[in-house]
Amino acid sequence: MNGNKGQPAIIFDIQRFSLHDGPGIRTTVFLKGCPLSCAWCQNPESISRDPEMAFYKESCLGCFECKLVCPKNAIMDSEEKRVRHEVCDACGKCANVCVSRGLRRIGERWGREKLIQTLLKDEAFFEESGGGITFSGGEPMLQHHFLYDVLPYLKEKGLHINIETSGMFRWERMERMLPFFDLIYFDLKHMDRSLHKTYTGVDNRLILENFLKLSRSFENLQARMPVIPGINDDVENIMKTAQYLIHANSRTIHLLPYHPLGESKLLRIHSSLRALNINPHQPEDLERIEGLFKKEGIDVVIYQ
Amino acid sequence: MSLFISDVKHVSPVEEKKAQNRVMRLKQAVQDAKPGICTERAVIWTAYHKDGTNRRKPVCVQMAEALRNVLLQKTIAIYPDELIVGNFSSKRVGGSIFPELHGVPVLMDIFKFSKRKTNPLQVSGREIATLLKIVPFWMFRFLALKAYKNPLKKIALALHQLKGHFYVINESGGISHIAPDYETLITIGTEGIREKACRTQEKFKKSTAQWEFLEGVKIVCDALSAFGRRYARLAHDMAVSEPDADRKEELLTIAHVCERVPQKGASTLQEALQSIFLAQIAINLESLDNAVSPGRMDQYLYPFYKKDIEDGRLTHLEAKERIAAFSIKMAEIIPVFSDYLTRVHGGMFNGQVITVGGVDREGNDCVNPLTSIFLEVMDELRMRQPNYHARIASVSGTDYLKKINDTLALGSGSPALYNDDVIIDTMTSHGYSVADARDYTAVGCVEPVSQGKSFASTDAALFNMPVVLEMALNQGKKFGSVMRSGTRTKPASEMTSMADVKNAFEAQLAFQIKKMIGDLRAIETANMSHHPTPLTSMLLDGCVEKGVCSTKGGARYNFSGIQCVAPADTGDALYAIEKAVFTDRKMSLFDLVGHLQKNLEDPRMMVYLKGIPKFGNDMAEVDKWTVYVVEQFITQLSLFENTRGGKYVAGLYSVTVHDHFGRVTGALSHGRRKGESFSSGISPVNGMDKEGPTALINSVNRIDSRKIANGINFNLKFDAHTLKGETGKKALQSILNTYFKKGGMQVQVNVIDPAMLIAARDNPDLYPNLLVRVSGYSSYFNDLTPEMKEEIIRRSTICI
Ligand code: SF4
Ligand code: SF4
Repeated sequence: MNGNKGQPAIIFDIQRFSLHDGPGIRTTVFLKGCPLSCAWCQNPESISRDPEMAFYKESCLGCFECKLVCPKNAIMDSEEKRVRHEVCDACGKCANVCVSRGLRRIGERWGREKLIQTLLKDEAFFEESGGGITFSGGEPMLQHHFLYDVLPYLKEKGLHINIETSGMFRWERMERMLPFFDLIYFDLKHMDRSLHKTYTGVDNRLILENFLKLSRSFENLQARMPVIPGINDDVENIMKTAQYLIHANSRTIHLLPYHPLGESKLLRIHSSLRALNINPHQPEDLERIEGLFKKEGIDVVIYQ
Repeated sequence: MSLFISDVKHVSPVEEKKAQNRVMRLKQAVQDAKPGICTERAVIWTAYHKDGTNRRKPVCVQMAEALRNVLLQKTIAIYPDELIVGNFSSKRVGGSIFPELHGVPVLMDIFKFSKRKTNPLQVSGREIATLLKIVPFWMFRFLALKAYKNPLKKIALALHQLKGHFYVINESGGISHIAPDYETLITIGTEGIREKACRTQEKFKKSTAQWEFLEGVKIVCDALSAFGRRYARLAHDMAVSEPDADRKEELLTIAHVCERVPQKGASTLQEALQSIFLAQIAINLESLDNAVSPGRMDQYLYPFYKKDIEDGRLTHLEAKERIAAFSIKMAEIIPVFSDYLTRVHGGMFNGQVITVGGVDREGNDCVNPLTSIFLEVMDELRMRQPNYHARIASVSGTDYLKKINDTLALGSGSPALYNDDVIIDTMTSHGYSVADARDYTAVGCVEPVSQGKSFASTDAALFNMPVVLEMALNQGKKFGSVMRSGTRTKPASEMTSMADVKNAFEAQLAFQIKKMIGDLRAIETANMSHHPTPLTSMLLDGCVEKGVCSTKGGARYNFSGIQCVAPADTGDALYAIEKAVFTDRKMSLFDLVGHLQKNLEDPRMMVYLKGIPKFGNDMAEVDKWTVYVVEQFITQLSLFENTRGGKYVAGLYSVTVHDHFGRVTGALSHGRRKGESFSSGISPVNGMDKEGPTALINSVNRIDSRKIANGINFNLKFDAHTLKGETGKKALQSILNTYFKKGGMQVQVNVIDPAMLIAARDNPDLYPNLLVRVSGYSSYFNDLTPEMKEEIIRRSTICI
């Protein structure tokens, strides 16, 4: 198919029976690696492209078998932290001997065939429910070679395919894959260029440009917005977002309310992110935001 | 137009409110009543049998006359607001003692009943004294002791029954588990059945077994008619002094109805319901008070409903009110279980099933307005009994499916769903005619039988599967035991492959099944010769025609259902051996068995074994072991036939016996320590289905349910969040459709909010009526043992 055929993907999770990543019952594939590092990230373990080690101290039995096998001497005695990430190369030897899954490797290599086999396990459920496969991440487009390799096969099988993207990709890479997608979920995080950079680490120009291009060449483009208290929920940003959507001829937005669950994962891995320590929105806040969008003529779907 | 959207005439809101109020008052009265033990049946039964002249009569006549005496002498009552009358016991909610069956062992708990935490039963000092007085008479006369002549075998069986390590035989408490032919009862009445019995009797000489059996039937027919007339008289007397004009009218109607039924065929819906309920009481008093299931009520009652409506005698609302009143009455009947039986059989459950929907005998969709009424009554009442089951056929209409789906998504827990295609196939391949298979209903928990035609003893025995593996790894002994309770097989140190393990497992299984069947056949014979059941039999097609009691194989279809308990634990334990010892070579089998003998005291070993993949995650290499265990069980069981000429068939449900078997079984190689509960029914080992419902369904469907003729119990659990809103409802519908299309046999959907369960555990008074599905049936949460509560809470907190 192309030159990169056979190159495995790095996947950090596969969730069957997903109900909120597109229509029907879906299997969601979480691809590892993201060019953004949003302050509110729900999957901080998805940011780095490479496999990494996570320590679940609740599961640890304190037997230190892990220490015995580590070739890099990267295991620490501390109860809170186990891995010296500066030296660890995520070889996974420690996780292999850890019976209690106190140490786990996040991010495994998946070959094309094995992934396809796993995805097809729920084919009957997809068919019955009008569901399918969703590629999420991280930013799935970072592994575009792999996607380009599996998508034609999944498409041929008649599966409904959705991709959840941050919009940070080179256009040509997306363009050649458009025929395989049935739906694209596209996150718009902030309209202000510098605030976007502050909170996500990248400038929003390419993202907005890609959204416009997609809106012209792809039918089922769905904008989504993580709404973060005090960061992007102000009137100005909402209005700007709404106007931008109208400009792009998009009439609906899905709002993903902030919740702090992802932050509890930060302690388990090595991450530069810090917990935001803010309170989630109250229902009435979300209603207010919904009202603002509606006033501009944008329909809103709020995820629970 | 769909038949399902019923042809409701407009009713005034006032009338509707009135009906609702009555139903709610009836429900309240039953729920507020403290369950108690009624001594009447025991006392009357004993008095009859103490009389030496009675004991010289043919045994069928004895049974019929003893039952007649109970029906004629027991206290009767008509409670306020009632439309359908008949009291099972002398208490509003009560249970009876069957001293000639399992009554004596039950009475060992007599001083505990009112004080115990789980399912306390009210019994006064006077009642205790009464019951104690009858014990000596039955001490050496109750059924289990009649199974074997040899005193050593007698004792062995009695001890075995008490400990229940390898299997629990239920038939020693009577058989029951039938869906009576109520259609015949409400068509021709007891007088019609009596006439049939007389005609057959003419063909036989006096003192033949047939003649005697039919004599019993005649006595029972008369007794049942007279039982109805007792209520007629009572209602009439009450009407005379009733000041309220409306109630007076109702009482006069009741008097009129009971004057006619059950003696005559019913002419209205109310008569039909009344006739059935009086028979329901009598059957529950005859033998084991368990799983007497009215079955397909929406079908055989429909002609009565239709006629009443067409003749303008009844409104849709009145029909619903009467059906609700009937449904509530069923909750007044409870079983009296000793602590031991409670552990084995769970909360106050007696398995009365009402099944709705599905196809008729010709294979057409037969959902009708009554189907809808029953589903509404079920949802509005949400009471422990009866159990509501719904049949789903490929021809079922969307209105019907949607109604059920929406009810389930909102967390009603009922109805349990049955796949017509699969069950009808299964039944025909086990000897049923297609029409009779199409006319199936579940009885008890999940067991399919043909309405009015099967004597299937569906809960004959429950078999502890994992203990067989324990024995296989230890040369036929339980860990730590010097006594060999199985057969001698190779020691673990000499087993060099999975084939060796399988050989030992199969040998132990064969040994244990053979032993169980021996005991079971002895008990079957004891039932046949000492406890025939003319009433039960006359409501099963074939018995009256042949003059043969159902305990002797008189019914058209005969089976015995044996439950294979904890196949997933056994399968996972086998897979863990394969993986740890033979694939990954982490240790020798000898070492592994050493760890098991030490009850996995090394936590690392336990955690390691627990971490090995388990059944329920859609992994073929793992699931194949559970499939193997089930198939071994079916194959070995199929080698035997019961004394009624029927097959032994396998069931995959466990009520609560998985918890009991867990307590008495040693450590197992999937990381389970001694005493821990096993998994229920066909469910994966607790909490180990981590991939969600789609993977779980794929795993479960690897077991060929068409071979499980006694039914399966498959629990799908969701937290309330998942099934919220339209997305949730749609997802549930898709899940269920796919499961059935892929050959699933049965499923029940639980929606659990764990916070509520925890609150209910910590403060039982807070949610006195919280219903949960346990295994094929509903129980009030407060009726469960502390361990079961923990189990239910734990289950519910594992989000799918
Ligand atoms: S091997 Fe696992 S359980 Fe043992 S100390 Fe290391 S992390 Fe903890
Ligand atoms: S992953 Fe490898 S290098 Fe890192 S801590 Fe574990 S054993 Fe050591």
